Amino acid sequence: MITPAVSRQTTAFVLAGGEGQRLHPLTRIRAKPAVTFGGVYRLLDFTLSNAVNSGLRRIHVLVQYGSLSLARHVRRGWAHLLTDDLGEFVDLVTPQRTAADRFYAGTADSIFQNVSLLQDERPDHVVLLSGDHVYRMDYGDMMTSHRERGAALTIACIALPRELCTGLGVLEVMEDGRVVGFQEKPADPIPLPDDPSRSLVSMGVYVWETETLVRRVADDARRRTTHDFGRDIIPGMIGSDPVYAFPFRDPHTGGPAYWRDVGTLDNYWQTNMDLVEPVPQFNLYDPDWPFYTYRPQVPPTKTVFAMGRRAARITDSLVADGCIISGGRVHRSVLSFDVRVESYARVDESVLMRGVHVGSGARLRRVVVDREVRIPAGMEIGFDLERDRQLFTVTPGGVVVVPEGSALGEEPAPGAIPAG
Amino acid sequence: MAKIVVAEDHEHLRKLYEVELQAEGYEVVLARDGREAIELAQAHRPDCVVLDIAMPGVDGIEALLKILSADNEIPVILNTAYASYKDNFSTWAAAAYVIKSGDLTELKDTIRTVLAERSQQAGAAEA
Repeated sequence: MITPAVSRQTTAFVLAGGEGQRLHPLTRIRAKPAVTFGGVYRLLDFTLSNAVNSGLRRIHVLVQYGSLSLARHVRRGWAHLLTDDLGEFVDLVTPQRTAADRFYAGTADSIFQNVSLLQDERPDHVVLLSGDHVYRMDYGDMMTSHRERGAALTIACIALPRELCTGLGVLEVMEDGRVVGFQEKPADPIPLPDDPSRSLVSMGVYVWETETLVRRVADDARRRTTHDFGRDIIPGMIGSDPVYAFPFRDPHTGGPAYWRDVGTLDNYWQTNMDLVEPVPQFNLYDPDWPFYTYRPQVPPTKTVFAMGRRAARITDSLVADGCIISGGRVHRSVLSFDVRVESYARVDESVLMRGVHVGSGARLRRVVVDREVRIPAGMEIGFDLERDRQLFTVTPGGVVVVPEGSALGEEPAPGAIPAG
Repeated sequence: MAKIVVAEDHEHLRKLYEVELQAEGYEVVLARDGREAIELAQAHRPDCVVLDIAMPGVDGIEALLKILSADNEIPVILNTAYASYKDNFSTWAAAAYVIKSGDLTELKDTIRTVLAERSQQAGAAEA
């Protein structure tokens, strides 16, 4: 954890401006960091909680697509946690169109367009964070390492199997931690010297010397590039600036820590499933590292019917408040607020967002259901993927995603062509 | 012949830049403030823009950002009497920062350097 004095001299930017196309349809009307995760959280909550728990209290969240949902969540869940009078804030920053008459053209451009914020605050350090990763990290340890090494840029990294690294930034690192190579989304990731099956990837967590950051994004602003940190800025610094890697380790075991880039629907589903394991790799229950969020004022979850085949059963699951499990069975699933599961219904390995209603006798298996969808009585989803594909998104991993606004089981209006 | 837009609010300095830079072989387009510089940069697509900073209305820093926003490959040189603007992060997006002087040697050298870099970059992009 960083000291209050360092905290005052550090500004955090959370990059939350991507479209999140690979999480479509969950991102159809909301930014990726606003997607519900783990029943009660939004993805952004993990990064913001890490920041606040680490002692970072000056936070700009850069957004552009689908920002309403995120703005509402931050206002309800986060604004009151930080105190303006103490110089603390979490601000949502949409493109101001003052420095440039356009939306953010890339991650580096999003910082360049907001360089006036750094001009006003004049921090010594800037911490750049992604708003859509699930992990628990004390950024203070990384900042200490950054200062001790005299780094211009420190990149948090983690070793992953090579086949998982092709969509990420891959680092080549010397024994002293200095970064000597950087590949963005490589077809052939550089392996670790002592383990050819794994590579070191950037977690999208950076500590910058403020002047280095500004110099780099300002230079980039007058070049024909994609204005992206991974593609354009960091590769150009290797060999000329002191760039160091910070290996992210579990503070308790010293081994590799839990970190997930919830970049695809399959990752999203799997990362939710990680939470329902009897001993999950990712611990939501540590009182020393709470994950904050906004929780609506809803009544406690209730189960009804104790006896016989209509008995409600919830096993190996996370269930948010406000749900009524009325004679149905829920197994290895994550339920958000206000979900209803009616008699004889079965929900297995599924993720149900707020307000989902599972009708009597319906069966769901490996399904993600977005907000407020009513699954009609008796409907089965996740058992015949060919049939499901005609109505829903089916991922390469075989998970079915039912989007918000789906009208299932409704009779076509009089005169309508039934197939449409 | 390279074309340069020069923004300067003092009339006698505008005249000086026009005469001296034309003598260097450049085509010179004069602007009286930042707003004119933005318009002329869009209309003329110059090879380089020279901006005074302290000008009435749209100043040189705002004009720098607007010009780069429309076409980030036009090099912009800030040409000001004040060194303190170097502390303004927005000025770091300029290709160069020159302290204004009656002797235009440094400005002319900087323009030459910036234009050489521009043609080098254009060559690299074509190759």
